[in-house]
Amino acid sequence: MKAFQFVTARDSRHALALMGAHGSSGRFLAGGTDLLVELKSASGVPELIVDIAGLEELKGIAVNERGLRIGAMVTHSEIMASSIIRELAPALAEAAHTIGAVQTRNLGTLGGNLVTGVPSMDGGPALMALEAQVTVMGAEGCRHLPICEFFRGPRKTALGPAELLQEIVIPARNLGKPTKFLKFGLRKGQALALVNVAASLWVNWDEHVFVEPRIALGAVAPTVMRAKHAESHLEGRAITPEVMTEAGDFAAAEADPISDFRASAGYRRDLIAVLVARALAGAYACAKAEHEGKAR
Amino acid sequence: MTNLTLNVNGEIRSASVPPETTLLDLLRDYFSLTGAKRGCDVGDCGACTVIVDGKPVNACLMLAGQAHGRAVLTIEGLATRERLHPIQTAFEERAALQCGFCGPGVILSAKALLERNPNPTVRDIRDAISGNLCRCTGYTKMIEAIQEAARALRGETRERAVPVPVEGARP
Repeated sequence: MKAFQFVTARDSRHALALMGAHGSSGRFLAGGTDLLVELKSASGVPELIVDIAGLEELKGIAVNERGLRIGAMVTHSEIMASSIIRELAPALAEAAHTIGAVQTRNLGTLGGNLVTGVPSMDGGPALMALEAQVTVMGAEGCRHLPICEFFRGPRKTALGPAELLQEIVIPARNLGKPTKFLKFGLRKGQALALVNVAASLWVNWDEHVFVEPRIALGAVAPTVMRAKHAESHLEGRAITPEVMTEAGDFAAAEADPISDFRASAGYRRDLIAVLVARALAGAYACAKAEHEGKAR
Repeated sequence: MTNLTLNVNGEIRSASVPPETTLLDLLRDYFSLTGAKRGCDVGDCGACTVIVDGKPVNACLMLAGQAHGRAVLTIEGLATRERLHPIQTAFEERAALQCGFCGPGVILSAKALLERNPNPTVRDIRDAISGNLCRCTGYTKMIEAIQEAARALRGETRERAVPVPVEGARP
């Protein structure tokens, strides 16, 4: 690794001030599972690394008036172990479990996963299917934006050079919304997703129709994306396995996968169709289990 | 330079290192603890696994400065002069290692698993060591050894005290 200056930030203001003074030659260090790999290989190493992983204000998992707040520096292991997340948004815990391996999940953070902007990130789809909001912090203050506006392209996000991701909030109205996350990789451990999918839905049980179905796809477009044609095909429609399969076909058609050494675009489209139908069926099964639990 | 103080295998150690030094470099090059291995150096193979504040991590993915004030356990901190750790005993008895390069990492991953889950299923074990690549064994004997060690640590089997070989001693 090339030489750089290393500072452990005292708090977020300190971190932002340091970064503001250094412009584009500084980087924030969270879990380091991506940044250190980059530092070891890249020629353009930053002059300054600001460690923000230990900042208490960027930690914590709690329900507040806006919804479920997850600090950006919460690790994937902490998400898996959180009783609040397992109760109110279990798909996030399932997604966290598919990231890397124990060692990288103990270091890597949800915020770090999101700011990479990598299309195959496993942290993104479930958050997008639950319409999460993110809070971005800069010297001027904070701004809130929907997670789908946070991703701007492959490895590109809405973050300015002297801004940091503070927190992720799942809106209160979506807490407990039945959701399923599925990932297809070439192995169970240590594999990037060829395709990952999250689906969330409510059910109107009187008419047995989909309400607010949300489908998010990863690794098949420049960013994690919503499959909006598939969603509108389902909205208000009677719930059947056939209609879930049709939604899978819509999603495959509106995605924009690439061919690379892991899989061809055609193979990825086939995976989308299958995984979307399965994720919808999984989310519906969660909804049904809960509905029958209440009725009993 | 980054000045740091940390607990390594129960001892307080200090060092002054260039900021780009990883925890793995610190352990191997400054403290001469070469049990953690440099394999891929990018967090894929797990040969550098050490336990930081109770959690297994890739030492190659942490800057030394991030370990300041924390407690690090390496494979050197596991056995005492008198006896091996029950996981090490089980690995020896089951012949769970061949070349042994991955061994320190696998054993520390197993230790962290058994501390939070004394009675793991095979699936739990596979998950716990999925970040430790072994190109010799095919993992089967490792999984058996971890199950055996779990039984020993739960007090269900009699532990056999295996003396630690003394350097220079003749067999």
